[in-house]
Amino acid sequence: MLESELHDLSDDADYAASQQQGSASMMLGSDSAKQSSPRDGAEIVFQKDNVAIHPTQFASERISGRLKLIKQSSSLFMTWIPYKGHNSEARLSDKDRSLYTIRAVPFTDIRSIRRHNPALGWQYIIVVLSSGLAHPPLYFYSGGVKEFLATIKQHVLLVRSAEDANIFLVNDFQNTLQRTLSSLELPRAVPLACGPSDMSVDESILNENQERADNGVNSGSLSVTQFHGRPRHKAHDPARDLSIQVLEKFSLVTKFARETTSQLFGENHSNGFSANERRTHIQANLDHSKNSSNVVENTSEKSPVALDSHEFDNLSLIWGKPRQPPLGSEEWIIFLDSEGRVTDSEALRKRVFYGGLDHELRNEVWGLLLGYYPYESTYAEREFLKSVKKLEYENIKNQWQSISSAQAKRFTKFRERKGLIEKDVVRTDRSLAFYEGDDNPNINILRDILLTYSFYNFDLGYCQGMSDLLSPILFVMDDESEAFWCFVALMERLGPNFNRDQNGMHSQLFALSKLVELLDSPLHNYFKQRDCLNYFFCFRWILIQFKREFEYEKTMRLWEVLWTHYPSEHLHLYVCVAILKRYRGKIMGEVMDFDTLLKFINELSGHIDLDATLRDAEALCICAGENGAARIPPGTPPSLPVDDGSFYVQQDDEVL
Amino acid sequence: MSLRRRTLLKVIVLGDSGVGKTSLMNQYVHKKFSQQYKATIGADFVTKELQIDDRLVTLQIWDTAGQERFQSLGVAFYRGADCCVLVYDVNVMKSFDTLENWHEEFLKQANPPDPRAFPFILLGNKIDIDGGNSRVVSEKKAKDWCASKGNIPYFETSAKEDYNVDAAFLCIAKAALANEHEQDIYFQGIPEAAVPENEQRGGCAC
Repeated sequence: MLESELHDLSDDADYAASQQQGSASMMLGSDSAKQSSPRDGAEIVFQKDNVAIHPTQFASERISGRLKLIKQSSSLFMTWIPYKGHNSEARLSDKDRSLYTIRAVPFTDIRSIRRHNPALGWQYIIVVLSSGLAHPPLYFYSGGVKEFLATIKQHVLLVRSAEDANIFLVNDFQNTLQRTLSSLELPRAVPLACGPSDMSVDESILNENQERADNGVNSGSLSVTQFHGRPRHKAHDPARDLSIQVLEKFSLVTKFARETTSQLFGENHSNGFSANERRTHIQANLDHSKNSSNVVENTSEKSPVALDSHEFDNLSLIWGKPRQPPLGSEEWIIFLDSEGRVTDSEALRKRVFYGGLDHELRNEVWGLLLGYYPYESTYAEREFLKSVKKLEYENIKNQWQSISSAQAKRFTKFRERKGLIEKDVVRTDRSLAFYEGDDNPNINILRDILLTYSFYNFDLGYCQGMSDLLSPILFVMDDESEAFWCFVALMERLGPNFNRDQNGMHSQLFALSKLVELLDSPLHNYFKQRDCLNYFFCFRWILIQFKREFEYEKTMRLWEVLWTHYPSEHLHLYVCVAILKRYRGKIMGEVMDFDTLLKFINELSGHIDLDATLRDAEALCICAGENGAARIPPGTPPSLPVDDGSFYVQQDDEVL
Repeated sequence: MSLRRRTLLKVIVLGDSGVGKTSLMNQYVHKKFSQQYKATIGADFVTKELQIDDRLVTLQIWDTAGQERFQSLGVAFYRGADCCVLVYDVNVMKSFDTLENWHEEFLKQANPPDPRAFPFILLGNKIDIDGGNSRVVSEKKAKDWCASKGNIPYFETSAKEDYNVDAAFLCIAKAALANEHEQDIYFQGIPEAAVPENEQRGGCAC
C-alpha cells in the first residue's frame, strides 16, 4: 500500500470521477426522495465477493461472503451475506454465520465508514451506525474498497471527515453542506417504542430469495428482514428504522465480537483496571482506534447499547493472515529468472514471511534472506562468490591457526577466547543428531567458525549466545565457509546484542517496554507497579532470537520469518509482545513479581505456539503501525546503528 | 518474625563461565548431573525446601550467565540476596583469579546494608577431573583467599560425583538464614552489636 494512498483518496481517478457524478446524483436523489415510490425495482449497483469477517482471533476462522450495494428508489442499502459451505471450520456454526449477516442496512442508518489500509494484509472497513454500534471489520480479500466507496458516493452524500481522511461521513449534511435538515438529525436516543409494525417490507429489495439461492444461506432465526423500512420513511426519521430487533442483533454481534477479541487480548475484565485505564490504552495513539473511537464517542451516550470505545478498539483490531505452508522447490523456481536471479525480492520475502521454507530450500535461500548473496545475483555469480569467500574465510582462519603454542602462551586474550568458545560449543545443541556424540566433527567446525569470527570481528570477539545463533546456520549450510559468511551477515544485524556495554540489548528491551505501553497499557502499568519495566525476563528471547524457546525446526522457521524483515525489521519485538499478551491474564491474575515472572517466562520454553504467536505479532505490528515504529529508537538492532563510529566500544579492562 | 511459617532465602551463584554453577545447583536440587547443560543465558533459578533446626526455609538459588559481559545485568538479579556463592574450577587458574572481581562486583551491585558482614561461600568445583591430577589451584591457596575475605566458608565439590554438594548448600542455607535474621534486626533498628557476628560465621563449622 502506498503511503500517499493512506490519506488521500482524491488521487484516485475512479474516485475523483465518481465524486462529480456522485454529487449530481445526490441532488437528484434528494429530489426523488420526496417523491419516492418504494415499489420501484431494486438494482444491484455494487457487488464484491470474498469480503470476510474474522469472528475470532484465529485468522483461519474467516467467514467470507458477498457484499452488495442495492439501490431501490432513491435509497441505498448495504448487504453482506456469508457463503455457506466455504468455511470448513467446525467451530463456526450456521448460527454464527447468520449472526453476522448484514441484511439490507439502509445508508440512512449509517453514520460513517472507516477505512483501514494496513501496510500489508487486506484493506478493511468498519461501518459505524447512527446508533453508535459498529459492524465487525469487513475485510476485502479481493480488493475493492475504493470502488465500494466510490459507488456509495454516487448515491448518497459521502464526505471525508475533516479530522481523519480515512473516515467517510454518511449523510452528514449539517457539517458539510451547512444545511439544516432537522428531519435528518441523528437520534438522541433510539426510540425503542417504535416497532417495525408501521413499516412495510419489500422483500424484493433484498433479493433475499436470490441470495439464498446463490449462497444457500439459511436466513436462520435471527433474520431481520422485516426491519428494512421504506426509503420514504427513512428520509424523514432515520431513528425509526433502528428497531429493537436490530439492536438486539447487533448487541449480540458486538458482545460476541468483544468476547472473541478479548481472547486475543486476554482481557480480564475483573482484573481491577478501571475503564479509565482502558481509555488511556485506547488513546495511546493507535491511530485508527484513536480516530474511530472519537467517532464512537460522539454517539455513544445517545444509544443505550452503544459500543464503548474499548469495545471499538477491539473490534477494529485486525488479525494476522493465516500462515501458509512452507515455500517448496516448485514454487521457489517461480521466483527466479532463467539465470537464477530473484526477480521480485519483496514477493519472495512476503512469501517466506507467511510460510517459511521447506527445509531443503533453506540452504539456498538463507544466504539471500541474510543478505550474504544479493537477490539480483545469478546462479553463476553465487557460485563465484562462494569460491571467493571460501578463500577469504581460509585466510582469516589461518590467522589464528598459525599461532604457535609458544605464541599462544604469551597471548592471553587468544587463549581465553578459545577456552570460552570450547566450553560453549560442547554444550550447544548436543542432543541434536548433527552435533551429538563424542568427537563429533561438527563441534569442531562450530569452534573454528566462532574463533575465526572472533578474529574477523576482533572488537566484538566471542560472547555467549553466539554458538546458539551459529548452530542452526551450520546445520543448514553444512559448509564451513558458507556457514561462516551467513553467520557474519546475521551478526551484522544482531552483533550489538553482544556489545560489551549491552547497549544493543538495552535499546531493544527499552523499545519492548514502549511497545507494551502502546499495545497493552494495563500490562505496562502492571509491570511498572511490580518494578519489572527492565524487561530482563525477556533477555534470553531477544539475545538469541528465541532459540531456547522453540524446538529446533520451529526456531529455524521463526528465524527465516524474522529475517525477511517483511512487516517490520523489529518483528521480534512484536513477537515478545504477542507472547506476553497471550499470558497477560495469568501474569496479572497470579500477581507475579519479578522473580516469579522470570521463572514463568523461562518455563514457557517449549510451550509457545509459534504460528499463533506469529499471527498475533503480525497483527500487533500492523495495529501499531507508525506509532509502533516511532517507539523503537533509531539504531535498535537489527537496524544498522546510527553512528558506526561508536558501534563496538572496546574496553581495556576486559579481555574476552 | 519467628512465627513465619516459611522463609524465602535468596542465594546468588556466581563464577566464570563453565565452572559448574548450573551443574551444582541441579545436583543439589534435582540430584542429577548432565554433561549437556547449555550455557546459561540471562538468569534462572531453582528452589528447594529444607528444614534448618525448627524452621522451614525455601532456598531460591539463582543461576546467572558466567561471561563478564553480562555482569551489568546483575543489578536486577542480585537485589534482595541473602547469600552469595562463588564458584571456581580447581583446574582453571583464571576462574580462581576472577573471584576477586566477582566478589567486588556482587557487593557493588547488590549493595547490601553491611557489605563486610554479607555472607559469601566459596566452592572449588570439579575436583573429580583426572583424579585431581589436573588441579592447578591448591586447597591452601583457596583457603588463604577465604581468610583474607573475613573467613568465608570453603567447600571442595564435585557436581558430577555429588561430592560435598549437600553439605555446601546446607552451609549456604544456614549462612543465608543467619543473614536474614540479622537483616530483620537491622531493619527493626536494634543495634548490630546484638548479633554476635563471630558466632554466626562459626555456625557452618566448615
